[in-house]
Order: sequence, then structure tokens, then C-alpha cells
Amino acid sequence: MQRDWADIWGGAVLALTGLAVAFWAGTRLEFGTLRAMGPGFFPSVLGAGLALLGTAIALPAWRRGAAPVPVRPGDLAAVIAAILIFGFGMDRLGVMLACFLAVLVASIPAPRSGWGWRLALSGIVTALTVAVFVFGLKMGLPLWPDP
Amino acid sequence: MTALEGIAYGFGVALQPGVLIYCLLGVTLGTFIGVLPGIGAMAAISLLLPITYYITPEAALIMLAGVYYGAQYGGAVASILLRLPGTPQSAVTTLDGYPLARQGRAGVALFVSMISSFVGSILGIVVLVLLAGWLSRAATAFGAADYAAMMILGLVAAATIGSGSPVKSFAMVVLGLILGCVGTDVNSGAQRFTFGQTELLDGINLVALAMGLFGVAEVVGNIRDAERQGSPERVSFRQMMPGRDDLRRMPGPILRGTGLGSFFGALPGTGSTLSSFLSYALERRVARRPERFGQGAVEGVAAPEAANNSASITAFVPTLTLGIPGDPIMALMLGALVIHGIQPGPMMLEARPEMFWGLVVSFGIGNMLLLILNLPLIGIWVSMLRIPFRYLYPAILIFVCLGVYSVRGSAFDIGVVAVVGVAGYLMALARFSPALLLLGFVLGPLIETNLRRALLISRGDPLVFLERPIACGFVIATAALIALSIWQARPRLRRNTGESDV
Amino acid sequence: MTHILTRRATLILTAAALAAPAFAQEADWPSAPVHVYVGFPAGSSPDLLARIITEPLAERLGQPIVIENKPGAGGVIGIQQMLANADDGHAIGTSINGPLTTAARMMGETGFDPQADISPIALIATSPLVLAVSGESEIADLAGFVEAAKAEPGAMSFGSVGQGSGAHLTAELFNSEAGIEMLHVPFTAYAEVTTSIMGGEIDSGFMAPSAALPHVEAGNMKMLGVTSAEPFGQIPDVPVIAGNAGLPDDFKAELWNAFIAPADTDPAVIERLNAEINEILQDETVQQKLLDMGWQAAGGSAGDLTQRIADDTEMWGAVIDTVEAPQ
Repeated sequence: MQRDWADIWGGAVLALTGLAVAFWAGTRLEFGTLRAMGPGFFPSVLGAGLALLGTAIALPAWRRGAAPVPVRPGDLAAVIAAILIFGFGMDRLGVMLACFLAVLVASIPAPRSGWGWRLALSGIVTALTVAVFVFGLKMGLPLWPDP
Repeated sequence: MTALEGIAYGFGVALQPGVLIYCLLGVTLGTFIGVLPGIGAMAAISLLLPITYYITPEAALIMLAGVYYGAQYGGAVASILLRLPGTPQSAVTTLDGYPLARQGRAGVALFVSMISSFVGSILGIVVLVLLAGWLSRAATAFGAADYAAMMILGLVAAATIGSGSPVKSFAMVVLGLILGCVGTDVNSGAQRFTFGQTELLDGINLVALAMGLFGVAEVVGNIRDAERQGSPERVSFRQMMPGRDDLRRMPGPILRGTGLGSFFGALPGTGSTLSSFLSYALERRVARRPERFGQGAVEGVAAPEAANNSASITAFVPTLTLGIPGDPIMALMLGALVIHGIQPGPMMLEARPEMFWGLVVSFGIGNMLLLILNLPLIGIWVSMLRIPFRYLYPAILIFVCLGVYSVRGSAFDIGVVAVVGVAGYLMALARFSPALLLLGFVLGPLIETNLRRALLISRGDPLVFLERPIACGFVIATAALIALSIWQARPRLRRNTGESDV
Repeated sequence: MTHILTRRATLILTAAALAAPAFAQEADWPSAPVHVYVGFPAGSSPDLLARIITEPLAERLGQPIVIENKPGAGGVIGIQQMLANADDGHAIGTSINGPLTTAARMMGETGFDPQADISPIALIATSPLVLAVSGESEIADLAGFVEAAKAEPGAMSFGSVGQGSGAHLTAELFNSEAGIEMLHVPFTAYAEVTTSIMGGEIDSGFMAPSAALPHVEAGNMKMLGVTSAEPFGQIPDVPVIAGNAGLPDDFKAELWNAFIAPADTDPAVIERLNAEINEILQDETVQQKLLDMGWQAAGGSAGDLTQRIADDTEMWGAVIDTVEAPQ
């Protein structure tokens, strides 16, 4: 039987997150009392609660069947890489280059072959971005790399 | 000055050409900036602030207010078409608006959202004029214990809006509450989960969180699927109009949404978010077939849109009558008045009636302009969906990044989008509700600080939650709601054992 | 993010370019637009103050000035960004007192050392705080307030805008000097403190005069005293706390706002900026604009500001010691 892996993993990750949060808060922050709660009170209680809820999600899912969920790590990687290139390249490369590169990387997983349209798209999106944000909304962004 | 005289006087102010043009400018900019994912009224108002040096204070306030409520109209567009909500309020609109768009009824969803926004705003103005005094007293009467109890009620009521398993919904709310703990603890000054990052001292950036949760998951999930489905058929104007059946479903949700929105909007804090979630939860509860929600129910768009737009009008009550800004955007607008040497405060209504009544009338004019502006745009927005997704999504990503950057000029926040994005994508695969996470994130810090503040002030006496009449009312309502939910869930639980909900 | 470039600035720019050979030494700075980092959002009080100063400053320097709003962590992020973008005097900043005096103590790690990494330019303005109570309170004056607080130690409460904020530390200083004990209730903004005082939830709070003034005029609040050494121009009728109700004659607690630069900035640039800013602060309309916002124009040499930072760091450090001691 194909188990409900989505809920098993989801529940397990939540449970572990909850435990980590409760542990971190419990060891580093003052818990206080119910009458005078310290900064650790809420995170500890919530962390413990999340651990319980995560368990309650994961355990029943073990005995349950579900259709497999398609995961696309490649698509995710391209999208995340594009965000990071743009976010951290903006200051160093300027909006023009960062945007062009980010769009190019983001378009890699798109289901159509050829680089011509990808380069064209990068150029168009870059022009649009500069027009809307730099000239239209006057956000103070460097256009080109700092010499 | 009676209300009628005031309104007549206000028309004299708001209809001056030098004011009207800035009202138009404000609402137009607000709409477009609301459509761009992530860029909110805050960024737009910061950009416009320097202009306000050179115009009259009435025109300045009316223009900035126009951006504020105009952005609410625009925010619905990105939520419905692309499932990219920039604010927690519009996250509620995605719940049914986006399924509608997927069914080829994007035009209907946008139409319903515009009409509900308009009616909600207009009724909000009526409430503002008639009940401003009462609402402003309510705003000061609310103490820490009352806020804490109210937010808990809101959280419990809204936690049921997820369409899947209640345990998963609840887990998302709790995860949101935990993320809300990140940053400096208000009560003790302790740093929680900041790991030495100065950028996290004020907490995780809300817009970055929303964009990571919704945006990345949406883009990654659609890169291949959207292409396979092909672009939607061209739809005629008639098909964009809601049918008789849709129209029949709207009045109730709009009225209930407006009621909740106008009340909660007037309370400083996150009245607008709370009222959107609550009005959605309420519609689900009163609906004859609640299972339609989440699948494209028109009520699920009408109610929260009416609520958040009426809330964005009554949010001016504490600002105008008490001089107490309910959120950072209001504080910014008051800053614009200070530039002109006007000290906003309880005396403003008497000392500068032209500001108050001019603004109130401009709300009406501005909303008319928004309706006239937005109805023809529906066709354009819908035809945007015909652009193949492969051309659209890289641009969406860049716009999301710049939207997040615009909040406080921080590249760190774009990094947050990437990190949250990975989690958001996996959560979407496993069918966890990002909207509920967002709700927990927004309400969590308010619940915690108010709860602890209430106990601090009462010197640790928990009876404060029963002694204060407002708090006591909310506590009883919460208890009743929990009891009711357990009672209603009994037969369903028995039926569901051994069954899969996916 | 805003370009302040007026027609007059352009004219001066042209004039400066024509006259360049005459004062060659000065011509190399500023050679590009000057970026001023502000650690608070557009429209906030520190932002408006920066704009009041930079508008005439841009004309005098003959280069546009770009305000960079980098809000966060009580102004600390603005300074971090200024240091990260240091560019031969073309990236300067403004700061309130907190990040330069108490932030290191309250936050642990700020990423910079005010002594070693910052070169002070000039003090712009100072602002006292006022002790405010509800308009319905039976307490009529400062003596009555101290008396009521002494009658039942710990029974009265005060609100602040956060742990370690100016409002919090000022209240703690007041408590120890007056020999009273009050419960501290932290909030995040003056708006919340005000609502809470008016709603009768807390008893008092030290707050910016401009935050309290509108509510005082409406009769919802009363101001019992001001923390400056002299009566404050915006609220001339409010008595000073110093020497009143048993408090020492030298009681003084002020917030301030200053222009700063990265530590390795050319001293000649600091000198020029200090001179220009001091002249701007002499302008009566500038003084009035500042006063309307609750700021008293200050000025003085860069050395005065260095001294002020050192003095305040020591004074507030001692207050933080007493706050942290009992726990």
C-alpha cells in the first residue's frame, strides 16, 4: 500500500520543529510562572503543543493510504536560486544584471526548449522591472555594478 | 456641526479641483500598487510622502488615505488571479477567489470582490459618520485583558476555516504563533530565536513570510501544470458578470462582513485581519452547504472583501477622533499631517473640521472612482491569465522580491522569502494551510503581549479575565464556541475514522 | 529613497562647477550625491527631522541628498547599513541617542562599536520627556504624584515604549532619584501608552511632549513635569522636574538626534558638515519646524557630541545597572 507519506513527513517535521522550539526556549529563556509568564513561556508551551499535533498528524497517516505527491526539487531549486541571485546580487551587480540573471535562471525549468526566448524574456522582464520600480516608483536601487 | 452639515461641508472641501485630483491620484496609485504582489500601501505612502510637502494638508491626507483603501481593491486582484496575497487580509480572499479563477470564473471572482469592496466601504462610511463617537469610546474602553480575550476568540473561531483535517489546521495556527515569537520580547526585552541576526530583532517580516508561503509554492507548483492545461479560453464580458445565482448569494455575506469589519476595524491593532478571517469563518458556519467553501464559493470572496474594506474605513476612527493610529500606515499618515504643523488628536474634529469631513466625503468619492476604475480593468486582468505561465512566472518572482524589499529596504528579507519558500512549497504539497499560519503569525504576538500585560497589570491575578465585562464576554463566547465545535464534530469524527481526507 | 534636488541646488551645482578651480580642495567632496541613512521609516519623527536638515544641506553642498530609510532594531540597522555602504563621506547617517548609548547594553550585539566605528558630526536637536497622567487623575502636581507613589510602594504603574527605551530608563531614573517604586508596563508605541493611560489601565508614563500634547489640550491627560533643565518651548507652562518635589537640581533626561559618519571619514568632511549644519540650525524657520515636532535645535562641535555620547552612555549605563540588579 502507498502510505500517506505527505502527512507522515509533514507531521514528523512539525513534531521535531516543536521539540526543537520547546528545547531552545526551555533552556535559554526564562519560563516564569502562570501568573508572571517569562519570555520562554509561550514558545515552550507552543513548541510542546506543536510536537503533539505533529505526532497526531503523522501517526494516523501511517495506517492510511494516499496517492503519491509529485515533488519537483529541480523546479524548486531554480526558483529559489533566482530569488537569491536577485536578492543578494542587487547591491553588487545592480538591478539590470541581477534581474537578467535571475530571470534566466528562473526560466530554466520552463517546459519549452531553446535559449533564444529565455534571453528575450530576461531582457523584457528587466526592462519592465526598471521601468516600474526604478523610474515609476522611484525606489533607490543601483542600476549597474558599483565601480 | 451635525452629520448632515458636516457632509455638506465636506463636499465643499473634497470637490475642490486641487483636492479631487489628488484623491484620484491616490486611489489609482493604490490600486496599481495593490496589484503588484508584496508592495503594499506602506511602501506607496512612503514614496508619496515627499509630495505632501508641496500640497495642502487636506489634499495630502485625502491622497494618502486613497492609497490606503485603494490598495485593498488592488490586493484582491493578485490574490484571486495568482494566489499571491500581500497581506493576511487578502490571504483569506485566495481561499475561494483562486479556485474560482481556476474554474475559468476569474472575472466573476473579481467582479464580486469589487462590488463587495465598494458596498463594504460605503456602509463603512455610514458607520463612521453615525457611530464614530461610540466606536472611539469602545477603542479606549478595551484594555489588555479585553484584547487578549478577543484575539483568542478570533483565533479559535477562525482556526476552523481550513478545508482539510482540523488537526492540520490547528498545527498551522500553532506554527504561526511560534513564528510570531521570533524577535525581541516586548515584556522582557529578551531576544527570542534571533540567532544573532539584527534583522530579526523586530520579528520576521510579514510580507516576506506571506510571499514565501504563497508565492514560491504557487510558482513552483505551476511551472509544468499550467502549461499542460493550456491557457484559458477567451471569455466574453457577459461571462465575466456574476450570474443571478451569484448575485443572490452576495447580500448576506456582504452585510455580515461589513458588520464585523466596521466594528473590528475601529479597534487599534489588527482589526482588519481579524475581521476578514472571522467573516469567512462565519459564512462557513451559517452556510447550508459549508463544504462548498474552499472550492470557489462566491460568499467566501464577498464576505472577507466587504469586511476588510469596511475595516479600512473605520480604522480611521481612532486616528481621527483620538489621534491614536491603529497601525503603522496610519502612523505614517499622521506623520504627513505633522509636516504641515497639524497636531492630530482629539481636538482635530473641532479645530480642523475641514480635515475630518473632507476626508469622510473623499472616502465616498474615492470609492466611486475605484469602482469606475476597476470594473473596466477586470477584463484586462483576466486576459493576463492568457499569457503563458512560462513568460509570467519569472516576472512574478522579481516583482515579489522587489515588493518585499520595498517594505524596509532589506536584502535579508529577500533571503527570508527563499527560506520560507522552500518550506511553503513542501507545505503546499502536504496540504497544510498557509493562510492559517499567517493568521497565527499576526495574532500571536498580540495575544501574548496583551495576555502577559493584563497579568502584569493585575499583579498576576487571572481573575482579571472574568472581572472585566468585555473580556468576560469574550471568554464565555470562546468557551461556547469550543463546546459547539466539539458537539458538531462528534458524528463526523466517527464517520471519518479510517478514511483518508486527501 | 527620495531625491531632494531643487532647482536652486542645480544652480548652485553649476556655479560650483564653474568656480571649481578657485577652491580645488573642497571640490573633491562631495563629488556625488550624499546618502543619509535613517534607521526609521519614512514619515517617522527621526525621518522628518533628517529631511528638515538635509533639504537646506543639499543646497549648501551643491549635491543632491538621498535619504535611505533602513528601519529596524530601534535604529541600529540604519547605522549598520551606513557602515556597510561607507563611501568616502558620501554615506552618512542620523541616529537617535539609543543606538549610540544604550543599545550595546540592551541588545548584546549591535555589530558596531559607537566609540571605534562612528565619527560624530553634530548634535541636531534634543527632546525632553514629560510625565503624563490621566486627565481624570486626582493627582494635581509632581509633589502629589511622588506622595501617592510613596504611600503604597509598587502600587502605581508606568507605561513605556519597550524595555530599555528612553521612556523606560527615564522613568527608572526618576524612580530612583525620587525614592519611589513603580510597576513597569512595556508597550511598543506611545499611541498604546496613551490609550492605556486614558483607559485607566496604567497610571502614568514618560512620553514625548508632542505625543502627549493633543490629549492634554483635549483634557484627557495632564502633564506633571518635564525632564529638561529649562522649561521646554513647546510646552512652556509645564514645570521642570529638577529641583521639584524633592528631586535633585541636576535631574535631566533628554533624547537627542545627531548626524554621524563612519569612523574613517576625512576630518575635513566632518568639519565642513558640522559647520553647515550649525549654520542651518541658526535659521529660525528651521528651529520652529523642529519645535513643532517636539525637538529643540541644538548644534555644537563634533567634540561636544562625542562628549555627549560618552556622558549619556555612562549615565544610562548606571540606570540599566539598577534595573538589572534585583533580577
